[in-house]
Amino acid sequence: MNLIGISINHRTAPIELREAVHLSTDEITELTIILKEEIFTDGFILSTCNRTEIFGYPKKNFLNASEIIDQLLKFKPVKNIANSNFNKYFNCSAVKHLFMVASGIDSLIIGDSQILGQTKEAFQLSEDLSFTGTILKRLADTTIKVGRRAIKETNVSEGAVSVSYAAVQVVEKIFADLSTKSALVIGAGETGELAATHLFDKGVSRLAISNRTLSKANALASKLKADVVSFERLAENLHQFDIIFSATSADGFVIQQDVVKNAMRKRRGSPIVLMDIAVPRDIDPASRELENVFYNDIDSLNIIVSQNLKKREEEIPLVQNIIMDEMINFFSWFNTLDVVPAIKIVREFFEEMGSDELSKIKNKISEDDYLKVEDMTRRLIGRLLHNPIVKLRELAETGTNLQDAASHSLMIKTLFNLNGADKTKLNENSNED
Amino acid sequence: MLETIHFLNTALPLFYLATFIVYFLDFKKQKKTLHNSKRIFLFLSLLFHLFYLLSRTFEFSHVPITNKFEIFTILAFSIACSYFLLELFSDIRGTGVFILGFSVLFQIASSLFIEDLIEVREVLRSPLLGIHVFSALLGFAGLTMAAVYGVLFQLLYKRIKLNTFGIFFEKLPSLETLEKLNFYSVIIGFILLGIAIGIGVIWLPVAFPDYSYLDPKLVSTLMVWIVFGIGIFMKIVIGWYGKKVINFFLVGYTIALLSMFLSNVLAKSFHSFY
Repeated sequence: MNLIGISINHRTAPIELREAVHLSTDEITELTIILKEEIFTDGFILSTCNRTEIFGYPKKNFLNASEIIDQLLKFKPVKNIANSNFNKYFNCSAVKHLFMVASGIDSLIIGDSQILGQTKEAFQLSEDLSFTGTILKRLADTTIKVGRRAIKETNVSEGAVSVSYAAVQVVEKIFADLSTKSALVIGAGETGELAATHLFDKGVSRLAISNRTLSKANALASKLKADVVSFERLAENLHQFDIIFSATSADGFVIQQDVVKNAMRKRRGSPIVLMDIAVPRDIDPASRELENVFYNDIDSLNIIVSQNLKKREEEIPLVQNIIMDEMINFFSWFNTLDVVPAIKIVREFFEEMGSDELSKIKNKISEDDYLKVEDMTRRLIGRLLHNPIVKLRELAETGTNLQDAASHSLMIKTLFNLNGADKTKLNENSNED
Repeated sequence: MLETIHFLNTALPLFYLATFIVYFLDFKKQKKTLHNSKRIFLFLSLLFHLFYLLSRTFEFSHVPITNKFEIFTILAFSIACSYFLLELFSDIRGTGVFILGFSVLFQIASSLFIEDLIEVREVLRSPLLGIHVFSALLGFAGLTMAAVYGVLFQLLYKRIKLNTFGIFFEKLPSLETLEKLNFYSVIIGFILLGIAIGIGVIWLPVAFPDYSYLDPKLVSTLMVWIVFGIGIFMKIVIGWYGKKVINFFLVGYTIALLSMFLSNVLAKSFHSFY
């Protein structure tokens, strides 16, 4: 196997360089055509905000990974990028790297499940561009399988790893059913938008946005089908909401303790969740002293995030076991490809010999007898070839006896004088399987 | 039959212990495999326990309610069975470890000291007494479960308020869910205790010529029932919720324990059989 590839990611390059080499779908399509013409028979390109990966099977026997980098940089020139900003992979290490990427353990945030979808899309695009052969298709399937198994069989993608999602996690520990709760997000900036999106995705019954600049609140509200609450009249509307996220860039407190106290009085003590995800803080932390008021700031939410990240890290060995499992399966299958042409040639040789002999007696015996002899010949060939074929496949599948498999293939071909078989035919056969 | 009863008597604490361990492991590690299989453990334990109770009833010709240790095995069964039904209908599976520990303790105590009683007082052979005791025990099992959920609610409430996100934060269901479970358990306990009191009041004059409606056990049980009734009223009609109602029911449960202790240990009456 001579799979070769390069990767630029968060471990090898700063964000500026990663952004600079990022490829859009159109760019991937264009580059694929170039790679197909120049260096690869088949391959694929994966490009996300955190990584760009190019893998493929070279047309020539000895391809230097630097040639792939050259092609990439020729297509998308980037200043100040060095060869050392790319990791290079070949054969086993390439397969292992792909499995690690798909399972999320190579991601900036361990267990990132988005990467699996992105990998799937990358393989799909490659297939759409007729850039995949049998081996790459199998590799794609196994890579996706590894990603799925990692999510299903381990907790590597469990738990919130962003502050706004951790806040939602806390809310879910207080309220059982968010579809019966109303939420207010104060601040329509990036953090506020993320929080509002999480709450929207969780299906809160009513979502409202409040922002000092009304137009921004309106824009976010229309995006998420939310209401708008006037920033100036926050205090008198606070009691209407069970969940309040605040993420403004205000210098002082936007919500004082007495405002919360009043709201609680109007709510007749019904629980309220205050998530202060702003720096500096928006909500008076003394609010947490009130009964049935659940207050969290960015520090306390960061505790959850770091706990979850630690737990994800602890799952890495389990994911690595899955990767090892699937590498064994993949290479067992791959190794059998080496013996498939030999098996085909021997079988064809025997079948040809059989039909040759049958044709000699065809006109000398009755049709019924001929059918019986033909059937017997077919069964005889099957029985004669059964053990050698099974043994050859076994030798190849175990993986450790690759040399044995090769020498046995050669031995069989020598014994039956099949060494003259056209090598290109062998390769064609290999590709067909 | 006797051999089977003796075998099950020894095996039941082990069944419950195994179930408890599976629930504990699931709570601690939350393995997907244990998540479903633990319910099978509990179901099988209950099935064996039911068979054991029926076997005892037929073999000794009386419902196993004639001494403390027979009551203990029924209490173990009632708690586990109530939890099983609650888990089945609510599909909230993370709290079993806190409930099933009671079943393990009661069953161990019962299995160690239970005797094969054939000779019992005639009054204890009455099927009406069987229903009375069963419903009372199931009622107390319900209230015990409510108390456990109440304590879990308090634990989680404090942890969220103080931002200490440990295992309880991670593994317990939400506060609202715990409050619901607490309330459902109270309702079950209240209804069953009501049935027990009702049967007791009707059957009392028939069974005991020297009966008195001022019997300490009857009065204390009625008091507990009224306290929980007030709690239910406050929640449904007045709209109490959260910590306030949980605390009220916890106080109710403490009164129930105290009154049971006082009426069983200190006051002697016709209502004492053991």
